[in-house]
Amino acid sequence: MKKFLTILLTLIFLLSLIAGMGAAQKGVFATSKITLKLGAWASSPAEKKIVQNQIAAFKKLYPNVDVKITEIVGDYNQKMQLLMASKTEPDIFYMDSMPAWQYIAKGVLEPLDSWMKKYNVKTIGYESSLLQPFIYKGKVYGLPKDYNTLVLFYNKEMFKQAGLTRPPRTWQELKDYAKKLTTGKVVGLTMNLELARIQPFAYQNGGKVFDGTKPVFTDPKALEGLKFALDLFKEGICKTPKDLGAGWVGDAFADKKAAMTIEGGWMIPFLNDRKIPKDSYGIAELPAGPAGKSTMAFTVAYVMSKNSKHKPEAFKLIRFLTGEGGQKYVVEAGLALPSLKSAGVNFAKTYPERKALVDGAKYAQVYFYGLDGTKVVDVFNKAFEDYVIGKKYDLKKNIEERVKQIMK
Amino acid sequence: MRNRTKAQEYLTAFVMLLPYILSFCVFFAYPLVKAFVISFQNFSFLGDAPPKFVGLANYKEALTNKMFLDSILNTLYYSVLVVPTQLIIALILAVIVNDKVKFKEFFRTTYYLPTVTSPVAVSIIFLFLYKTDGLVNQILRHIGITPRNWFNEPSFVMPAIVSVAVWGSVGFYMVTFLSGLSTIPDQLYEAAEVEGAGELTKLIKITVPLLKPMIFFNTVVSFISTLQMFDLSYIIGGSDGGPMGKAMTMVVMIYRTAFKEFNMGVASAMAFVVFGIIFLLTLIQRKLFGEEMSY
Repeated sequence: MKKFLTILLTLIFLLSLIAGMGAAQKGVFATSKITLKLGAWASSPAEKKIVQNQIAAFKKLYPNVDVKITEIVGDYNQKMQLLMASKTEPDIFYMDSMPAWQYIAKGVLEPLDSWMKKYNVKTIGYESSLLQPFIYKGKVYGLPKDYNTLVLFYNKEMFKQAGLTRPPRTWQELKDYAKKLTTGKVVGLTMNLELARIQPFAYQNGGKVFDGTKPVFTDPKALEGLKFALDLFKEGICKTPKDLGAGWVGDAFADKKAAMTIEGGWMIPFLNDRKIPKDSYGIAELPAGPAGKSTMAFTVAYVMSKNSKHKPEAFKLIRFLTGEGGQKYVVEAGLALPSLKSAGVNFAKTYPERKALVDGAKYAQVYFYGLDGTKVVDVFNKAFEDYVIGKKYDLKKNIEERVKQIMK
Repeated sequence: MRNRTKAQEYLTAFVMLLPYILSFCVFFAYPLVKAFVISFQNFSFLGDAPPKFVGLANYKEALTNKMFLDSILNTLYYSVLVVPTQLIIALILAVIVNDKVKFKEFFRTTYYLPTVTSPVAVSIIFLFLYKTDGLVNQILRHIGITPRNWFNEPSFVMPAIVSVAVWGSVGFYMVTFLSGLSTIPDQLYEAAEVEGAGELTKLIKITVPLLKPMIFFNTVVSFISTLQMFDLSYIIGGSDGGPMGKAMTMVVMIYRTAFKEFNMGVASAMAFVVFGIIFLLTLIQRKLFGEEMSY
């Protein structure tokens, strides 16, 4: 009896194992229709709508191709690398300029040159600085989806109360305005304490942070510019959203905790969502420094996975999304600037009040620092933090120390 | 005949244990061995390049990384603050709730409640409480103390996290102490009362010595769990370790190295360094409490 039971148990166990395997294999069906996966990070509903509209238009042109959006919630870069490690990444996906070279150098992205030749796509049609992060050793790995620049948002009502009639145009004005606007409850300026916001001040002072191939950590002109911005924090006329008890800059500005902020065009749909009336705030170019104007450009490209099983279709999708057909929707929505030059002209015409965003594109620096980008940003951000809330007053020495620690 | 029954018994036992053995191998033994191997390799997630053996280079990199060394100090600082505070409070609560007060069942439940709450939810609630315009600061303002940005100032962030941690886990240790208290015979207290001992004398002379095994158990468990602190620090400070990295703990550092910098080799090396530290500290505690402890 016992023996029988043992055998029975073993049999049931083995059977269930086999059944499990069978079920796992059943999932693989061959379909005649091709399904492409498009990887995107979670963003505002308005931004998602653009991609959905583009895909609907694409499907009309190519009825045999189905496109599914894989929305990645949380840390995009982290999850994308994990998807790649398990070889389940989407066929084409968003790629931020910052980490682009890290992926390219590891050889996980498909070079697009031969596809571009085959389907007649030319790099010259795109804003040239936007391509820089996606060209590695002479090969193109991504085509820019859209981009955005940093501008100065200011609260018109607070300006009126302080007797100010126009946005600040110079460093001196920025400082004076911020001082004037800082009262018990409101701070003059709010921005994130990070390289992506502080860097323009280095360039406005004629300095450099990145010289095209490698980072420049301690250019004296750049340091002087960075210091000007950091001293605004030290004087208490500029605060981080965290210091104001806000989730991000947008909240601090919408909740009237700050009169001015330096942020990108993605603020506009956010302020719309928060029901902030359009004429209660203004959008201006960043104030010029001693050496002129500068701002940051942030860009995202569509890249193709080397493991994609439908490369021709995937490239056709990239071509559509970054070409005239797809960029039309970017212009219409007005959230970000179209990366295609011909579409950029239409943007400024459609949204005159957002002209500052397009004007900045002419002199903007792309957010990109080569292969060690993440580490470079880390060095600066940590040094800024030390300088503003810590006790290390020598910014140059601090940066040098951190470079020694992190970069090898 | 006897042998055959033995063999049958073994087979039955093996089949019954198989699911556990399998899951142990797949989810525990294999990853552990693999992590140990990776700690000696230059291991990349992406691409097809095979992992390269690099000897002790990962350990060297881990032990010369200033951020990691800082995180060890931060974690020890955290442990030294949390362990005694939480055990003393837990012991006092346990003694009070044991039989001295009315509604003791109610208090037992209330003090245990935070333990079953998700640490993520707890941290988010405390983020609100400790905000610049949060409840804590508003109360402080009323009694004339300057409000602070608790989680955003380098010297305050760790003590602030400690307060959250103590609040969140004191209930667990209270319950273990309660179970220890129930094993102390009432006669001892009665005899002491006849001799004229006060409450404090009874606590020091009877309760604490008889609870020694429980105290040892709680100290070790509390120490190990504080050395592995991740959730509160990660939610409050993020993977950068909060203001000037002062909220960075060892485990957050491992997470950061593995999943932000994608440096699996160094992260695995760090994990084994942390294992070594915990192992060593537990041995020291055993020595301090004496060998005869059976826990």
